[in-house]
Amino acid sequence: MVFSTLVFLFVYLPVVLGIYYLLPFRWRNVFLFLCSLFFYGWGEPVYILLMLVTITVNYIGGILVDRFRHEPKKARLILTLNTVISLSFLVFFKYADLFIGSVNSLFGTHLALLGLKLPIGISFYTFQTMSYPIDVYRGDGRVQRSFTSFGAFVTLFPQLIAGPIVRYKDIDEQLIEREHSLDKFASGAERFTLGLAKKVLLANGIGSLWDIYAANIEGLTVLGAWLGALAFAFQIYFDFSGYSDMAIGLGRMLGFDFLENFNYPYFSRSVTEFWRVWHISLGTWFRDYVYIPLGGNRRGIQRQIFNLLVVWALTGFWHGANWTFLLWGLYYAVFLIAEKLFLLKRLERAPALGHIYTLLAVLFGWMLFQLNSLAEVGGYYRAMLGFGRALFSQTDLFYLRSYLAVLLSCALASTPLLKRLYSRLDPKLRAVTTPLLMLAALFLCTAKLTNDTYNPFLYFIF
Amino acid sequence: MNTKTKNLLITLLFLTFLAVLSVTGLLLPDSSFSARENRYLQTLPSFSLEKLFSGELTADFEDYCADQFPFRDTWITVNARYEQLSGKKQTNGVYLCGNRLITPFTAPAEKELKRRLGTVEQLKEAVEAPLTLALIPNAAEIYADKLPAGAPNDSQAEVIRRAEEAGLSAAPLLQTLRAHREEEIFYRTDHHWTTLGAYYGYTALCEPLGLTGRPLESFAPETVSRDFYGTAYSSSGYTWVEADSIERYVSADAAASVVSYRGGTPTEGTLYREESLSKKDQYTYFLGGNTPEIVLTGRDSRLPRLLIIRDSYSDCLAPFLLAHYSEIRMLDLRYYLGSVADYAAEHSPDQILIMYSVANFCSESSVMAMTP
Repeated sequence: MVFSTLVFLFVYLPVVLGIYYLLPFRWRNVFLFLCSLFFYGWGEPVYILLMLVTITVNYIGGILVDRFRHEPKKARLILTLNTVISLSFLVFFKYADLFIGSVNSLFGTHLALLGLKLPIGISFYTFQTMSYPIDVYRGDGRVQRSFTSFGAFVTLFPQLIAGPIVRYKDIDEQLIEREHSLDKFASGAERFTLGLAKKVLLANGIGSLWDIYAANIEGLTVLGAWLGALAFAFQIYFDFSGYSDMAIGLGRMLGFDFLENFNYPYFSRSVTEFWRVWHISLGTWFRDYVYIPLGGNRRGIQRQIFNLLVVWALTGFWHGANWTFLLWGLYYAVFLIAEKLFLLKRLERAPALGHIYTLLAVLFGWMLFQLNSLAEVGGYYRAMLGFGRALFSQTDLFYLRSYLAVLLSCALASTPLLKRLYSRLDPKLRAVTTPLLMLAALFLCTAKLTNDTYNPFLYFIF
Repeated sequence: MNTKTKNLLITLLFLTFLAVLSVTGLLLPDSSFSARENRYLQTLPSFSLEKLFSGELTADFEDYCADQFPFRDTWITVNARYEQLSGKKQTNGVYLCGNRLITPFTAPAEKELKRRLGTVEQLKEAVEAPLTLALIPNAAEIYADKLPAGAPNDSQAEVIRRAEEAGLSAAPLLQTLRAHREEEIFYRTDHHWTTLGAYYGYTALCEPLGLTGRPLESFAPETVSRDFYGTAYSSSGYTWVEADSIERYVSADAAASVVSYRGGTPTEGTLYREESLSKKDQYTYFLGGNTPEIVLTGRDSRLPRLLIIRDSYSDCLAPFLLAHYSEIRMLDLRYYLGSVADYAAEHSPDQILIMYSVANFCSESSVMAMTP
């Protein structure tokens, strides 16, 4: 199930919130576990079994690591085994067909593709569960002996399918004790509504513009190419950060505090800064479980560069089962290494230039991320750079006019400006405007979501 | 107002919004058909383990929630208003141009158009009677200038030109309709032509069919409906657009008999079905709507016989032709699954007319079924 659907908003969520608050605290984790499994199984019921296996493996892994805490060799063996099992699920379901396809095209073989449907959220929850025994091993987190509480942590529906990647140690105590209050619920509802509006009004609103241009790469004009790239950049940001907002908001409604996942990434002055504030939970995960264990920056510059390449190849590949994602990761590694070596110091002296440079790097990066093949990427880049393309067409101007309001809203919402201005308003005024804005957002989102399901069957369209 | 009150307000507002719509949805009786969308709605799916494991159950339930969502039509209108305010000129593929709704035309790929014209050429070779192709441009072509500047809308004139080049089309429909563009020749809320539009279509057909057309003054138009909301209205959500009215020019007794093969067996019909006027899709007033085969018999048995391979644009044009033919047979290839060439051989019409709107000719897959 996804949050931005009528069935989630008007069936699942009211029922879950209602029962949750009727139950005494000691039953709430069990209930969360069960209703999260239901949430997970909605799209693909059989994968509930896969989820239960993943939970069991890591649950036992955590207990065993804890038991052998004083026998490092055994503990490390268990940890390795646990990590291999977790990763093999991810590799099997997500990457098997890519590997088979690549072997086929390299060696001319005809191995059959598996054609498995990707278990929803597997990239997120695999990382989340994998880190738990590691935290126990390192003494960063306590062992969880309640299967249902552990299960609730893994499946917790607010963050199950699109993050933020919640680490066990961050939520450990909240599983045992967490505060439920009116203030927290209200701030959760506010945050959720904000996220819903970002997803439905901004991301979906601008997404159709990207679809138009991505469908016709050969016919792109320069203006069209830039409009398309901009539209995609906004779409992915508001989609993803909107989803994170909804997750954080839902978490709060259920008494949890999740860490922030985005902090105005498009307002960054360097690629380094961009990646510190874009999908923060993923960056932190790779830092703590890959980069630092590899030695981070403590073993000389050459080793650091190597470590960065490894981390960014993996980060890229995590995003999708296509070699272009690997390339996308390495693309960022180049920027990050260059910034580390010399660029960052210079950028600091010219912040305006830093903004432009970062946006350009990110914009070109997204095309590498989103388009399916290098040929398409090449075609798109050529159009952006104006090689043999018209500058603009009447159709581009039409789209520009049609989407101008959404584009400007997206641009404005990508900067902290609105938030700052709003927080300067008189709190008394805000006490009125915030609920009104929420109501308006809920109304519009419901209208747009209903329209998405509007499906006139015009068989008389003949 | 202090923070406590504000937070109470936010919480209540949020929960009330969810609760009201979810409880209303529960209380309102489910409907099984949507007149506006013209389709059956998903009703509460029945449970089975098989459907559960295949994922069908949850998918059906999601459709159920969406289809039975309270005040569904109102939300669609709210969305259309929002899109309009945000600067979009269209929703769900339909443009709002003043008080007219226009669905733009997307030309088929070169190869596809060739294939479609090719099938008409093949049929022309295979049948004995002279065959004419008439392609009807719709509002997106005649009123292309009313679409917002730069809105993607391919040329239907180009498709017609290609058909003429292939020696298939000689009816000056495009020129005639263009000449009368200031008159009400297309519905504003529907993709069809009006009866007046069909009359001009008829005059354009007279030349290739060798007929002497009746002048407009010889008809006494009669308005049969003033509250017709067509397909463009249905799909767009622009529910504030004014209704169309429907007129009829030819009196019902122009036909000696109308036999419709709806459902396979011959049924006595009429040129105009009054019941349609109280339904959503009032255009089915003409000949009663979709049917695989329909046979109109004229008043004078000495006149020649005509076979029309057609789409629904012919429904309101056929009555005009009745003055010139003793028998008009009409085939709709979406529903008529037999061979057109065989049909022509069996009934040996004196003339064959293939008449489609350009949009349908280019997109409707059953067009290919006329290949002999």
